[in-house]
Amino acid sequence: MFLIDELIALLAANLILSQALGTSTMFIAADSKKNMLATSCIITIFTTLGSVGAYFIDSLLPDQLADLRLLLYTVIIGVLYVVMLTVSYYAGKGWFADFRKYIHVSAFNCAVMGTLFTISGKAAEDSSSFDLGWYISAGFEAGIGFVIAALLLAAAYRKLNSAKVPEAFRGFPAMLVYLGIISMAVYSLK
Amino acid sequence: MNSRKKALLGGVLGDNIVLSGLMVISPVIICGDTLKNAEALVYAFTALTFLSVLICSFVPERLPYTVKIILYAMISAVIYIPVKLAAQEFFPGVIERIGIYFPLLAVNSLIVFQTEARFFRMKRTDMAVSLIFCIIGFDAVMLITGVLRELFAYGTINNRIVDMNTVISGLSHPFGGFIFLGLMCGVYRFIRGLISKNNEVRSNADVSDR
Repeated sequence: MFLIDELIALLAANLILSQALGTSTMFIAADSKKNMLATSCIITIFTTLGSVGAYFIDSLLPDQLADLRLLLYTVIIGVLYVVMLTVSYYAGKGWFADFRKYIHVSAFNCAVMGTLFTISGKAAEDSSSFDLGWYISAGFEAGIGFVIAALLLAAAYRKLNSAKVPEAFRGFPAMLVYLGIISMAVYSLK
Repeated sequence: MNSRKKALLGGVLGDNIVLSGLMVISPVIICGDTLKNAEALVYAFTALTFLSVLICSFVPERLPYTVKIILYAMISAVIYIPVKLAAQEFFPGVIERIGIYFPLLAVNSLIVFQTEARFFRMKRTDMAVSLIFCIIGFDAVMLITGVLRELFAYGTINNRIVDMNTVISGLSHPFGGFIFLGLMCGVYRFIRGLISKNNEVRSNADVSDR
């Protein structure tokens, strides 16, 4: 029962299904399961580590300089971007050749930046959430939410691209309608 | 239309960034439920994207790809500050409703990735024309979405009540946005297919048939 409750909470707070964050990135990665899994995992790393940076920015940035938040988040993501490319480079040439395209796609997109802003907004609303552990878990949950949405899309990807779907609706339009229906189901769980 | 004209003007119909490229779709899905929101997003997107891409075009080409992408994102994040301050003057209430989607427009893929893949391969004047048409393409989709979703979801246009028998309130929710945009994409592709078929038939026809 606990697991079901957790799954429902994860779905209801899913950033793709409830806020459409990272939808474009998911569609870019949707053409193969490997692409989707790798992109989802790298986005999870970005959201989790990025949320650590977001915590320190939120705790140090005075209210009157709040407009600088985007710039500072961008710097954090930029640093992570370089660090991840460097780590994958030193992990091996094959690894680097395989993973760098996913890192490029995952760094600057709505999924990562939107997660940081959403976490920051929630922490500002509820001061009891303003804690490093909460930021990290929220960032990780957002990444897992992306993985779940990617799995849901991967399950139907072939059918939504099959010749049985009218040509004009094949692919992206059908995937958007499909995500809309899943989003409607998730909305009813709230 | 020759290929150069297509590349320059295609951003509105032939290669619309939202309906064809599926870029910048989150704000359209979530915030595009009223005309007022749509207007605010149109302003924010137009100002941010146009200024950012123009300024980013001065970043030296020799720099490594990753450094350029980070610089583009940072330039855009800096431009966001005056654009937001101006928006607080023009759209004070709506900016609150748009919420996190306003700063997210600053890291949209048109600025961060398309600059490198598309715009910076053109001459600067061609780039400016192509960029303007891409922006008009987004603005048109945003406004059409805002008007239709507001009409069908709330029975109003720009907060003025319209005599509507049926109101589909689900269209104001994110799932309504997904489904509406999916249907719009399908209709867009259907129309584009008809036009391209027509052009093919016309170009294959004899002079006497034209």
